Amino acid sequence: MNKKNDNPADYPALGRMMMWVDKPGSATKIFYALIVVCVLLFLADFTYEKHGYFQIEDIPGYYGIFGFVMFTALILIAKGLRVLIKRPEGYYGDKSVDVEDYPEDHLDKVDHNA
Amino acid sequence: MLDQIPTAFLFFAAAIAVVAIPKGPIRNAFMLLVPLIAGYQVWNLEAGIHNQVELFGFTLDLMRVDKLSRVFALIFTLAAFLSNLYAWHLKDTVQQVAALIYTGSAIGAVFAGDLITLFFYWEGTAIASVFLIWARRTEGSYNTGMRYLIIQISSGVILLAGAAMVYIDTGSITFENMSLGSLGTWLIFLSFGIKAAFPLLHNWLQDSYPAATVTGTVILSAFTTKLAIYALARGFAGTEILIYIGAIMTLFPIFFAEIENDLRRVLAYSLNNQLGFMVVGIGIGTEMALNGTAAHAFAHILYKSLLFMSVGAVLHRTGTSKASELGGLYRTMPLTAIFCLVGAASISAFPLFSGFVTKSLIIDETGAGSYPIIWAVLVFASAGVLSHSGIKIPFFTFFAHDSGLRPKEAPTHMLLAMGLTAALCIYIGVSPDFLYSLLPYEVEFQSYTMGHVIGQLQLLMFALLAFVILMRTGIHPPEIRAINLDVDWIYRRLIPSVLTTINRTVSRVWSANTTFWLRMVNDVITQLHNSHGPEGRMAKVWPTGSMVLWIAILLGVTLITNFVS
Repeated sequence: MNKKNDNPADYPALGRMMMWVDKPGSATKIFYALIVVCVLLFLADFTYEKHGYFQIEDIPGYYGIFGFVMFTALILIAKGLRVLIKRPEGYYGDKSVDVEDYPEDHLDKVDHNA
Repeated sequence: MLDQIPTAFLFFAAAIAVVAIPKGPIRNAFMLLVPLIAGYQVWNLEAGIHNQVELFGFTLDLMRVDKLSRVFALIFTLAAFLSNLYAWHLKDTVQQVAALIYTGSAIGAVFAGDLITLFFYWEGTAIASVFLIWARRTEGSYNTGMRYLIIQISSGVILLAGAAMVYIDTGSITFENMSLGSLGTWLIFLSFGIKAAFPLLHNWLQDSYPAATVTGTVILSAFTTKLAIYALARGFAGTEILIYIGAIMTLFPIFFAEIENDLRRVLAYSLNNQLGFMVVGIGIGTEMALNGTAAHAFAHILYKSLLFMSVGAVLHRTGTSKASELGGLYRTMPLTAIFCLVGAASISAFPLFSGFVTKSLIIDETGAGSYPIIWAVLVFASAGVLSHSGIKIPFFTFFAHDSGLRPKEAPTHMLLAMGLTAALCIYIGVSPDFLYSLLPYEVEFQSYTMGHVIGQLQLLMFALLAFVILMRTGIHPPEIRAINLDVDWIYRRLIPSVLTTINRTVSRVWSANTTFWLRMVNDVITQLHNSHGPEGRMAKVWPTGSMVLWIAILLGVTLITNFVS
């Protein structure tokens, strides 16, 4: 891809609209919005009567806490797992799909402004 | 007239006819028409057993139509239509014929009323589908295809062995609910388990799906494993061990998916995890749980196809599906990005998307059946789905750091296929009653209760928050070019290296042995040569004299022997 010809004005209109996410500060705004949503969802737990199958479900924000803790645990365990099982791409030799390129003639590789 | 023909035969006839149609729009239109006709036929089929055939004294039921087989056949025809639309650009007769035979076999197997018919179609799916891998036409895909074929054919052979033993035990070949006990039923269970990618038997899935063609993977993702789910639901509903197998299946792939770099392999791990939810439903075996399994299979085929389609479109345009090489593609592929997000939201079970109204059926049944640990595992696995399919796939492909790639938006037919599939995912999520009406049993279930919606949103949003925090603090593992070991290491590395060692040892012992005996023989010959050869000690005396002497000794011995006896 030729970086010199990279002109956002050529992108599809929808793509240009979505470029908001890459503006400086947008990521932080999304982060704070997410925190607000989470707080609201936590508070929402007090607005209705719970009919869970298990007692633990009655703890306010149970699903939120469970989701947060377990997600973090998942990422940390996966990180540890990677240390054990990571191998170079050519581990199974040069006759595996991991190291070979997808045949060009099956594809239609085109730049957006081509 | 149409209802007289088994649905599978429609596809087989089409597979022959398609060769005669010149490549181009007419053939492509034909590829779309076939699943449409088949879908129309399945929709209008009446319940009951049709098309009985006599074979070697067995009565084969080619078409057993009931609500369970019907819902699977319907989603199979729908998936075939969508994936053929996605593959509109193909000019590869091999893939088109393979796709038709593969779809036909999968539908045939779903309608099979006896174990022999099931076996034939079971092997049909194996043989037809491998061509979708080989169609990549590289050495790597050839090797992967071979591994895939060996495992799939083995599954069929084990099924046949099991069927024969069940026939000896019971005198019947009908394919109906079985209980584990005899060797025959265990073998059938194992055969289904291989195709359903049970833990430790699973790795053919992650090995082969990333090796298939762009369009081939979309087709592969729909049929083989869901056929196995159907077979388990038909044959082993209520088998308790399935609950635990299924729970493990939902769990272990999420760790592998998290650190995998090839996004099509990430999706294969995620597929494995989704199958786990269905297997748990089968294990619980209540009417609602089986409804949940069928509904989840239906929704899953759609959103999983959609995810494979969007990653496939990226591969089609950029030549890679590795997360480490991608990023920031939303700029020039915004529609593909949005469709991918719809798939991601569906598989993560966001309210208003299809996964929400189907997965909750199964999770609710684990609560109703008082399986607290299984329930907790499934809720955890739901958060895990969000991490790899909900976040990783769209985020690292279309957002995250800018890879500098500026590919063109996916071709129109791919956008159409993705758009249609995305619309179906949302439609099922918004008005689940349509899907519920297709399920095997009456559904009395409210997915949109306050508790369900808030609970699920809390789970997902707090998990998302955890992701954002881990990203901002740099703890989240980066995408790197590497592969990860899995069970396939056993047959790709361990067994070959053990065999090589055995081979080397045996040949060493063999050659040492041969050398030893050769030396012995050589020594004997050399010694004989030394004593009896022309230059030897025995040759020193006059040969005639020594001959006379020996004859005299011989005569003397004969005389004495005669005299004594």
